Amino acid sequence: MKRKFLLLVMCLLTFHLSFAQSTITVQGRVTDAETGQPLIGAGVVVQGTTTGAQTDADGNYTLSAPSDGTLTFNYLGYKATSVPINNRTSINVQMETDAATLQEVVVTGYGVQEKRDVTGSIASVKSEELVRQASQNPVSSLQGKVAGVTITNSGAPGASPQIRIRGAGSALGSTDPLYVVDGTFVNDLSFLNPADIESIEILKDASSAAIYGVRAANGVVLVTTKRGKAGESTVNYNGFVGVQRVTNQLDMTNAQEYATLVNEKLRIENPTANLIPTNLPSTDWYDQVLRTATIHNHQVSASGGSEKVTYMASAGYLNQEGIVKGDEYRRITARLQTDFQVSENIKVGYNGIFYDYQSDNIPSDIFYQAFVAPPIIPVFEPNGRYGDPANYPVGNFANPQASLDWFNQKSNGQRLTANAFGEVSFLDGFTFRTSLGLNYGIDEYRNYRSQDSLTSVQYASRSLLTQQRSKSNMWLWENTLTYDKTFGDHDLTVLLGTSAQEDKSNFFRGSVNDVEFNSEADLYLDLGDPETALIDAGGARGTFVSYFGRVNYSFLDRYLLTATLRYDASSNYPRNDRWEYFPSIGLGWRVSEENFMQNQAIFDNLKIRASWGRLGNNNIPANIYRLPVDRDPRLAAIYNGVLFPGANLREVVPATLFWEIVEEVDLGVEMGFLNNRLTVEADWYNKQTKDAIFGLTPLGFLGLGGQIRGNFADFRNRGLELIANWSDDLSTDFSYNIGVNFSRNRNEVTSIATENAAFYNGNLPVGGYQVSITRVGDPIGSFFGYEVDGIFQNEQEVEGSAQPNAVPGDFRFRDRDGNGIIDERDKTIIGNPNPGFTYGINTGFRFKSFDLQLDIQGVADVDIYNGNRNVRFGNENYDKDFYDNRWTGPGSTNSYPSAKLTGRNLDPSDYYVESGSYVRIRNLQLGYNLPSGVVNTLKMRNLRVYVNAQNPVTWFKYNGFSPEVSGAPISQGIDRNVYPLSATYNFGVNATF
Amino acid sequence: MKNIFYSVKRNSFILISALTIGGLASCSEDFLDVEPEGVGVGEDFFTTAEHARLAINSVYGNTREWNVIAFAHLAITTITSDNAAKGSVPGDAGFMDEYDNFTLTATEGQLNGYWNGQYQAINLTNQILTNVPLIDMDAAEKERILAEAKFFRAYHYFSLVRAFGGVPLRLSVPLPGEQEDPATLNIPRSSPEEVYAQIIKDLTEAAAVLPNRGATARGRATQGAALGMLAKVQLYQRNWQEVVNLANQVEGLGYNLVEDYYSIFRIAGEHNNESIFEIEAQTVPGNCPASNSQWAEVQGVRGQFGWGFVEPTEDLVNAYEEGDERLDATILFRGETTPEGDLINPNAPNPRYNQKAYVPSFVTNECGYAKDQNVRILRFAEVLLMRAEASNELGDTQQALADLNRVRERAGLDPIESATQEELRNLIWHERRVELALENGDRFFDLVRQGRAAEVLQAQGKQFQAGKNELMPIPQQQIILSNGTLTQNPGY
Repeated sequence: MKRKFLLLVMCLLTFHLSFAQSTITVQGRVTDAETGQPLIGAGVVVQGTTTGAQTDADGNYTLSAPSDGTLTFNYLGYKATSVPINNRTSINVQMETDAATLQEVVVTGYGVQEKRDVTGSIASVKSEELVRQASQNPVSSLQGKVAGVTITNSGAPGASPQIRIRGAGSALGSTDPLYVVDGTFVNDLSFLNPADIESIEILKDASSAAIYGVRAANGVVLVTTKRGKAGESTVNYNGFVGVQRVTNQLDMTNAQEYATLVNEKLRIENPTANLIPTNLPSTDWYDQVLRTATIHNHQVSASGGSEKVTYMASAGYLNQEGIVKGDEYRRITARLQTDFQVSENIKVGYNGIFYDYQSDNIPSDIFYQAFVAPPIIPVFEPNGRYGDPANYPVGNFANPQASLDWFNQKSNGQRLTANAFGEVSFLDGFTFRTSLGLNYGIDEYRNYRSQDSLTSVQYASRSLLTQQRSKSNMWLWENTLTYDKTFGDHDLTVLLGTSAQEDKSNFFRGSVNDVEFNSEADLYLDLGDPETALIDAGGARGTFVSYFGRVNYSFLDRYLLTATLRYDASSNYPRNDRWEYFPSIGLGWRVSEENFMQNQAIFDNLKIRASWGRLGNNNIPANIYRLPVDRDPRLAAIYNGVLFPGANLREVVPATLFWEIVEEVDLGVEMGFLNNRLTVEADWYNKQTKDAIFGLTPLGFLGLGGQIRGNFADFRNRGLELIANWSDDLSTDFSYNIGVNFSRNRNEVTSIATENAAFYNGNLPVGGYQVSITRVGDPIGSFFGYEVDGIFQNEQEVEGSAQPNAVPGDFRFRDRDGNGIIDERDKTIIGNPNPGFTYGINTGFRFKSFDLQLDIQGVADVDIYNGNRNVRFGNENYDKDFYDNRWTGPGSTNSYPSAKLTGRNLDPSDYYVESGSYVRIRNLQLGYNLPSGVVNTLKMRNLRVYVNAQNPVTWFKYNGFSPEVSGAPISQGIDRNVYPLSATYNFGVNATF
Repeated sequence: MKNIFYSVKRNSFILISALTIGGLASCSEDFLDVEPEGVGVGEDFFTTAEHARLAINSVYGNTREWNVIAFAHLAITTITSDNAAKGSVPGDAGFMDEYDNFTLTATEGQLNGYWNGQYQAINLTNQILTNVPLIDMDAAEKERILAEAKFFRAYHYFSLVRAFGGVPLRLSVPLPGEQEDPATLNIPRSSPEEVYAQIIKDLTEAAAVLPNRGATARGRATQGAALGMLAKVQLYQRNWQEVVNLANQVEGLGYNLVEDYYSIFRIAGEHNNESIFEIEAQTVPGNCPASNSQWAEVQGVRGQFGWGFVEPTEDLVNAYEEGDERLDATILFRGETTPEGDLINPNAPNPRYNQKAYVPSFVTNECGYAKDQNVRILRFAEVLLMRAEASNELGDTQQALADLNRVRERAGLDPIESATQEELRNLIWHERRVELALENGDRFFDLVRQGRAAEVLQAQGKQFQAGKNELMPIPQQQIILSNGTLTQNPGY
């Protein structure tokens, strides 16, 4: 009773206290002291509290504040100003620019920091750069924007690109970085509409990323979504419509050229073989399956709020056709975010992102089918049936059009990514924050293969319905306690935190024959023949527990220190090797702040920084230290005509398995010249992956089903990054900026557990060849094969050579050891698929109401293994370049073989290795802001229209469809008919109401 | 008053913070112990009788594997022989030509597939032989399962030793961490004699336990199968008296020739009175992954049924005597109409196909062509021919002629009345060829065993080199993986 009474008293007192000071509403306008222009988005805070507001499009703000309080005004690149309220209700402020302090704020893990205080290498890309592209995946938009980040795009609608930060950090498992969206860990960003993003920060060096410990070995991508701001509500519409078409379509042979090649081949193999006719009509299978596709995208957002509540809501719709007929992707994204200032020192909020996609799929090997299908096979026979390989004696090739028409698969999925937090400030400088992140997703597909007979190789005597549903859910609970305080010349921020996470996923798949298909509503598994029902299911679960801490300290704004420590545990590792420490330290020296630098005029900013950190890699397959039971349906026995399931053990697990560790040193310098119009940033790094987990192909006589995994190798990525930005306003009518970024990365394997051992990967389905090798002294996943030393021109050259079974027109391989036999010992490194150089040039121009943006991006010093040319079983189609350059007789060429691409001509050799360098016009956009008169008549605040061309031109020499070939590090860069990127031309509108 | 309020609040925040941060530590180890989802834990396998059953089932199922019974098997055992050329259309799977012409090099991919496929099968049997003895279960069933595993271990080692000569003799299962000790792991090739000795040991032990047919389910290994396989192994070892004894034992189990040779290779003829061992293949409705035998599919009439590989040679056609019923039952000529009424496409790219791999078009092809065709591995007719061959070598001409003529008469041929030992040897070899052609892949190894591979195959225009091509090269990839511990066969 006594207690309750006390509580009541306290509540009353609180009530009373809030009346002790009188609260008034203050409003005003914030402008640039020099130009008088309004400052949009400037922060206004009641000193000593978290109460604040931001200025609107006209520079106006409104907030409630104690009549005796003080307002602090902050704006990027301006000196902070504090103004006592003194009972005034209107306070206008003119802010002065602060060129010396580049107060760009960057998001770091579990906090934000001013860029000038950062001691590591963090790249930041703001929303304006993301939305000016037609890319539908935010990661894709980063291509060419950030030094040290290599992005390999796929042309498939809805596909996520491959991203590598400072080279491949891991060999086995995923090399994807950790994605953190508003504090929640996610696997990719395909669920995010780029227009919803405020900024993307990429934590490139180990000291920046080390706060994420075990998840950070491949780098960290932090995504901050837009949040509502106090002030007048605004409504935005962004939308575009456009078309996509392939560029650089690969020229294949026509029917006549193809028949010529096949006959040349037949003649070499057997001089009396029957030839095939050369006068058949020709089919261009690429023309047959490809199309000009449409794309349209719309997004509406509304934001606003008061000092107590701010919100932002948005909804987007994307409809993108693929360049292959029948390929379509539709996406809905919706987001709602609200922050509540519950009291002076308590803030809560949430952010929910919903994503829904529906797609019509195409056969995954359609580009392969179109590449290999002989042009002598017609799309349709005169009798209306599909062109059938049985009628053309060259091989069992699928008719690609029949494949497209027969393939009936739809997929869809929904995902909710949400985060809720509560934040309390207490004492002087303490903040406690707890946040709960959730990620819940479902993906489904259904495939219906109708009972049909299209060609002699494409038929089914019974229909088959397959349905799969996969579910994933994740929760992440994090708590941080931050202490932020300035003592005279000392600035100190201390962070302590905990994190716990659980990841779960599972799938269920079923199939059944004989479901009648009259409409989508018939597609239920129970409507088929129960005798034929087949189920498959699986799942994965992982848990994590972490403790972490960070100290940021700066003295005199000149000497900077960042130190972090994370203590991580992951269920992916065995119990006795489960916990690991991940420390890091970063040091910075802002030389330009020193007294001795005050009399020079060259540097506006000069900062030197150095960092070291240790990261872990958790992106390894789940439970690889646990022995699974193999229950492959193929292991079922048949006794008395009845099927009995089989199971057995076919793997071994490593006796020990410990953390894969990345240690990285980064040295950087940041400079500003010419009143900071020119900024230059350079970084050197050395990133070492230690005890990397590799899959070792076991000796065949062990009889294992898969590979043996273990901590088998060390490798490193070493490189250099340069960024230069120039921006200038020549007059009020004309301004421009040019940004150049360049990065160099070298990958090298430094040690392998077993001496002289090497890891062979990159299987090609023909001949069992493996073209990728990982061995000490060479880059990971290097191409390995023979060196072609010309072409055998005649029988005399064959005789006495190391290849007695060769025929004229075959490759002559270099007998490197000179022992008169061509075998494995003559193989050598023939190419490197790790990109050596990546670069981007990003420019923007503004003249009066017009703006122009031109981005160029490229990759150099990289090789591709042309698997399209190499993987041949027989009479696959040839590309036109081969036709034009092939060996046709003595003296015709010494670099291309004859049409007889069989036998040893298909051994991996440098003939199949080609340069993968390319330069691309990534984006070209011309925009026009309509005059304010027109805009006002339309009751808008701003209206911009633009035309845009994305990827209109790509220059490369590679004999394939696209030089962008992704893959796991140990088998990367092998082109097996990738889905090529297409050019997009669109027209768009940005409107603000 | 304000201060009191403040301190209460402060303390509670510090308390909450401390609790949340500290509270995680206590329960985290349990939270981090995660069982693998949905696969079962290998450490718990081999603890029940059901596990032993599942494991022996996997050995049977594995015999249908692509690497074990399809392309690589046909290339190594049949396309090499004088019975068949590569088939299909020129250029299609051109690497198969290397077997046909003996231009084979160690990097050819089917070799590695065959090697891995046989050893994967051997590992499945080793798992059983290592783990099942420890399971508490019905003793009789346990003994039978172990005997079946021995039968299959021998069967797969026999495939290896015939093709490659001596191979690493691996009789245990890989243990965790074994990869870290290359000395125990990376074993060299055993001699062919050592491999054969193990095969004989396994088959002898299996034969002592396995039930006779009828006492076990159709499709499972029987005593007859073990004895018959052992007879064949002894034939390769030229232990003639052993062959005769074993053949007598098989005959004593009640096997006999069926009347109609053609019926043997039809689905209705599976497990007839002559059949000793077959690889079971069947279309399992809705379960195409388990309907995975491609032995017949790759040999089916190209464009009409299957892929058209293994084209019977003209030499094989000519090998049949006038009136031999087996010619029409063995070779499917383009343009012919089968007894089941299928017209073989007169425009098929190959003049001949393997009729022992023919499945009539009325049989379902929902998982692909001919997924129901069992592979006939051992028939009583072969046992008779083995006994004939061994008896002749032992000088027992009467027994040899009697067995030979039982086989000839069933084929509609006149009996051989008398012959010298040398003549009879050739007659029996010839009979083996025509009786077993394109069936179980013995022809090439028979020629090697008979010491006349070079003579016969060179006469076919093949680039067979004596002293080299009797054995396949050890797959180059295996030599690399062994870091040179595995040695290459001569000449490669």
